[in-house]
Amino acid sequence: MTRFLLKRTGQALVVLFLVSLIVFVLLHQLPGGPARAILGPKATPEAIAHFNHLQGYDRSLPVQYGMYLKRLVTGDLGESYKLNQPVLALLTERLPKTLLLTGLSVVLAALLAIPLGVLQAVRRGRLSDYVLTGAAFVAYATPVFFLGLVLILGFAQQWPLFPAEAPQAESVGGVLAEPAGLVLPVVTMALGIIAMFSRYMRSSVLDNLGEDYVRTARSKGQSQVRVMARHVLRNALIPLAGLLGLYLPTLFSGTLVVESMFNYPGMGLLFWNAAQSNDFPVLLGVTLVVGVATVLGSLLTDIAYAVLDPRIRSVS
Amino acid sequence: MPTTRPTGPVPPAEPPLSGAPLLSVEELHLSIAGRDRAGAERTVHALDGVSLRLAPGEALGLVGESGSGKTMTALSVLGLLPPGARVTSGRVLLEGTDLAAASDQVLRRIRGEAVGVVFQDPLSSLNPTMTIGAQVAEPLLLHRDVSRAEARERAVETLRLVGLGQPGERMKNYPHQLSGGMRQRVAIAMALVCEPKLLIADEPTTALDVTTQHQILELIGELRERLGMALILVSHDLGVIARRVDRVAVMYAGKVAEQAPVARLFTSPRHRYTQALFDALPERAAGTGRPLATIPGLPPSLTRRPAGCRFAPRCAHATDVCRTEEPAPRPADDAGLHTYACFHPADPAARAAAAGAAGVVRPAEDAAACPGADADVLLGLDGVRKEYALHSGPFTRRRDRRRVSAVAGVSLTVRRGETFGIVGESGCGKSTLGRLAVGMEKPTGGSVRFEGDDLATLDRAGLRAHRRRVQLMFQDSYAAMDPRMRVGAILREPLVVQGVGDRSAQEERVRELLDEVGLERGAVHRYPHEFSGGQRQRLGLARALALAPSLVVADEPVSALDVSVQAQILNLMRDLQREKGLSYLFISHDLAVVRYLADRVGVMYLGSLVETGPAAEVFARPLHPYTRGLLETADSAVVGGAPEAEPAKGAGPLAGETPSAADPPSGCRFRTRCPLATDLCATTPPEPTAPAGEGHLVSCHFPLLPVAGRAG
Amino acid sequence: MTAEAATPTTPQPAAGEPADDDGPDATPGLARRTLAVFARNRLALLGAGLLAALLAFCFLGPLVHPTDQVHTDLDQASLAPGEAGHPLGTTDLGYDMLGRLMHGGQTSLEVGLAAGLLATLFGTVYGAVAGYFGGWADAVLMRVTDAALAIPALFLLVVVAAMVTPSKPVLILVIASVAWLSPARLIRGEALTLRSRDYVHAMRLMGGGGGRAVFRHIVPNAVGTMIVNATFQIADAILYVAYLSFLGLSIPPPAADWGSMLSSGITYTQVGYWWLIFPPGLAIVLVVAAFNFIGDGLRDAFDVRLQKN
Repeated sequence: MTRFLLKRTGQALVVLFLVSLIVFVLLHQLPGGPARAILGPKATPEAIAHFNHLQGYDRSLPVQYGMYLKRLVTGDLGESYKLNQPVLALLTERLPKTLLLTGLSVVLAALLAIPLGVLQAVRRGRLSDYVLTGAAFVAYATPVFFLGLVLILGFAQQWPLFPAEAPQAESVGGVLAEPAGLVLPVVTMALGIIAMFSRYMRSSVLDNLGEDYVRTARSKGQSQVRVMARHVLRNALIPLAGLLGLYLPTLFSGTLVVESMFNYPGMGLLFWNAAQSNDFPVLLGVTLVVGVATVLGSLLTDIAYAVLDPRIRSVS
Repeated sequence: MPTTRPTGPVPPAEPPLSGAPLLSVEELHLSIAGRDRAGAERTVHALDGVSLRLAPGEALGLVGESGSGKTMTALSVLGLLPPGARVTSGRVLLEGTDLAAASDQVLRRIRGEAVGVVFQDPLSSLNPTMTIGAQVAEPLLLHRDVSRAEARERAVETLRLVGLGQPGERMKNYPHQLSGGMRQRVAIAMALVCEPKLLIADEPTTALDVTTQHQILELIGELRERLGMALILVSHDLGVIARRVDRVAVMYAGKVAEQAPVARLFTSPRHRYTQALFDALPERAAGTGRPLATIPGLPPSLTRRPAGCRFAPRCAHATDVCRTEEPAPRPADDAGLHTYACFHPADPAARAAAAGAAGVVRPAEDAAACPGADADVLLGLDGVRKEYALHSGPFTRRRDRRRVSAVAGVSLTVRRGETFGIVGESGCGKSTLGRLAVGMEKPTGGSVRFEGDDLATLDRAGLRAHRRRVQLMFQDSYAAMDPRMRVGAILREPLVVQGVGDRSAQEERVRELLDEVGLERGAVHRYPHEFSGGQRQRLGLARALALAPSLVVADEPVSALDVSVQAQILNLMRDLQREKGLSYLFISHDLAVVRYLADRVGVMYLGSLVETGPAAEVFARPLHPYTRGLLETADSAVVGGAPEAEPAKGAGPLAGETPSAADPPSGCRFRTRCPLATDLCATTPPEPTAPAGEGHLVSCHFPLLPVAGRAG
Repeated sequence: MTAEAATPTTPQPAAGEPADDDGPDATPGLARRTLAVFARNRLALLGAGLLAALLAFCFLGPLVHPTDQVHTDLDQASLAPGEAGHPLGTTDLGYDMLGRLMHGGQTSLEVGLAAGLLATLFGTVYGAVAGYFGGWADAVLMRVTDAALAIPALFLLVVVAAMVTPSKPVLILVIASVAWLSPARLIRGEALTLRSRDYVHAMRLMGGGGGRAVFRHIVPNAVGTMIVNATFQIADAILYVAYLSFLGLSIPPPAADWGSMLSSGITYTQVGYWWLIFPPGLAIVLVVAAFNFIGDGLRDAFDVRLQKN
């Protein structure tokens, strides 16, 4: 276990380093370089030269990268020239709200997808299996924004049950105080995850049902329900933790779309607005933070996986 | 129905069947619906009228080759059938209740309560994410009105009963933390925790090593006597069945061919299939120099119900009546304990005479077969070592750089035209040794020489040319053939790689090879998956021979095959050797197979070669305590070998388990399991000596010499 | 006999299947068997049918229903379906909706197909190199993909697209530049297992070299995985095109694709111009689902064909 943790953490550190490198490279690919990006399109060549000297952008690339890393470590992600705020401050306000949206969606999706997947596995080859399989494929093929649009048309306009706009509160608590506004964004996010998880759950349960230990459990006189609950479910759920880690980037991509659709004041919306106005410090800052969040998140899910699976837990 | 359970020890073998049976299977028909590869629906008639009876406390052996229906019969007792399988008619009466027609609820009450089951693979049949304690206690919580603490206590007791050391602590372990033998003990504990009246053991030791196998079978036998339960032991291995059961039912193609008390079946089988099966056992022909009796062909496909006797197409004695009429079971004796379904049964008297005569043939033939000691040396291994890093990687800390010593200083020679057999249990390093011999891996120490050339000194071109001289025959020929290539391309590949001949010459050679291994020439158009296991081994042999090598290293070439097919392959290997003057380095865990085929043998234990010598010598007069233990542990189905007398005291079967090769014992590696070990063994690794005469080497400080020689 | 063996040193990458060899008792070739299994999968056939229909609609449709998709016609703006010879109505700029659906579909499909294939190709080579050589090369190459995968694709795409002006080739490159990562990982795993297969060892023991291992054994056996992955990649690439358009990063008008049509329709949800939303949305769903059905069917077909009896 210790070995596994050390190895996995080491890998995560290497990946984090590479993520920062990728963002750094992107920064240098900006049209006109970082100076133009930060000072804006109207900056004079003199101003740009001055800025470049000030920021050290006239030094060699490795030196620049060192400086960039140093700034990152001190939490300096640059400043938004559209919002005139430090990127870090913007992110500390927005990130928790994005995590809330993601967390709620994952929980809702898991609550629905696990029983659905089990149901499909148990009724394999029957009508309900086919219908659910087809539905999962369609849900997977539906772009999140089209789904969101359909939900808005249906449940905000045709039958005005929920607001089409998400809560605009500043704090997480404020967002939670308006649960009705969260319904449509969360459901939009969750449907895609349900499609993914239920497909996975179905095949995972089917794999486990074919295992010898299930026959052993039955040979003890257990009912199907008990075999499922006591033996199969646990074994089928463990890999789902690993899947969640792999799925994190897709989840964050989803928040980008959902937040901009429902005007949910999270990191995705911040990013989208920045993209509209070419606010590069924000774009790159968010990209970096999302990358870091993904790496840490998948590290956590891997650790969870190891804790849940005794085969990994007890190896050295 | 009397439901009193027998409490005392079981009455001796062959209890009369007159009393009410515990279990009675009556005319059971079972079919499995499925699809063939083309997707067409098909039905396999897996069981076709199977009838069996089992008295309380009795042990019944079910033997047969794969697909004979033995496992289906056993599993149908509890309704634990695979998907698609269905009992179409017949009854399975357990103390009067028909289980074939019983509801799931009734079956659930019986499973784990009145009937316990032990399956083949102890790793996959245990839940990997549940502690063994929870798994063993589970049946109690289901069937008995006990608290969790009581169930736990009972589970600990049962684990102690099955011989698991420190059961209290082991309760918290997960299956992967136990060795194969310990896992099977846990599985047995699980089946026994509710003290069932019947234990069904489906190939319980097939996945285990010889010595572990022996321990587990002994345990099952012991527990049966102690708990007074009945036993159904399913196995493909006649040797396993021989000493452990009262009666045996031989199954073939979904039917019971013959049933008899075990001793009777082994001494005077009547059904021609049973007889042929015994004759195909390599132990019957070992050392005689005679080819094994084989059964031609393959068991029938059960998608159609064949007319007549199912064995008729493969039977040397079949007549027209066999092909048209189905033989009914008939009694071989007055008591009705021995029945067989055959129109032309074997005559027990004639058989005994033949068996006696066979022994006489031996000396002359044997001498001719065994090349003299002066024949030139083809392959020479000198102090060969192979170590693997346990963990590797750039960030591995120094103290983690432990190494597994797979082969620890092995020296041996293979002479032209001879078969050198390597025997040992799994993990002893015999496969690694084989890979070193063919040059698939490089030794970390010592040298491998072929016709005098040290392989390490060969350059690229030299090594490439060397490949023609040595070929490897894989254990799993299917895995060793590109599934996307047709057989023609597969067999031609060695010739193409080595640039032998032009295209038409290569094709001609492929046809020749197919003829030699007894396959149709049309096989070139097929893919490997279209062949049966035995045919694939033939293909594997054909490919190994394509370049006309002088040495073939065969790694467990017959271990996955049924007895009747195994005999075909062994004979083929032997015939081709005589024809072509081939040498074999034959690696196997199966003593009987090695004994049959090998001129000289080497016994491996934990990476070292503990004993080498002429096969007949080593098997008759083993010098190393490990060899001796292995020989006594192996269950063999020799004539009349049924309930044989136990071996003499002091040299009992091997106890304990093989230590890890990552942390081998100091000095002699066998010392931790050796009854003769002293302090000397712990400090000094023994050098090979020849205390019993030239050519028979043993690496032991205290070799097992005839009584007088011991002191010297 | 098989054609490729005559020239053993010349590798034949994709054409891995031995040519059919119609001896009297030859079993049908693997390719034919794969198709047979595929053809029995109803969902897969449905997918193939759907795809064929959509392709015909987008590329042959304009021949039957020619429209002007370059010039705006504000007199005809926002007509409801059925009005003035516009079966699906018109857009806010007066384009015929049915014609625009065909026109936009061409972009979506072309970019999706090209980006998906390009990503698969590059990912395959990258993954095969990592998997075959292993060791340090593998470790370095795989950490790079880990890092690139850690940044959610959409974020990366938006940043990249914000730096350049989208055009068809640019979109293809940009999407391929993030989509190659998952095939790279997949093929690497495949290469790792394939190179340690016994049949590769067997060939090595005959004296064969690395080239033969790669081109005669590893690549042909990985072809199935590659083809299956390519279909899923295409589906994902089509979705990416749509997402980028939705985020405002599409090829500038008068060009169109289903994603940009959908996002410009969003403006009119309040006034109930449903025909601006549902046709492009459903078209995306249908084509992506079709590719997924096909991929799923192909995966089963490649799995089944080599099974033992």
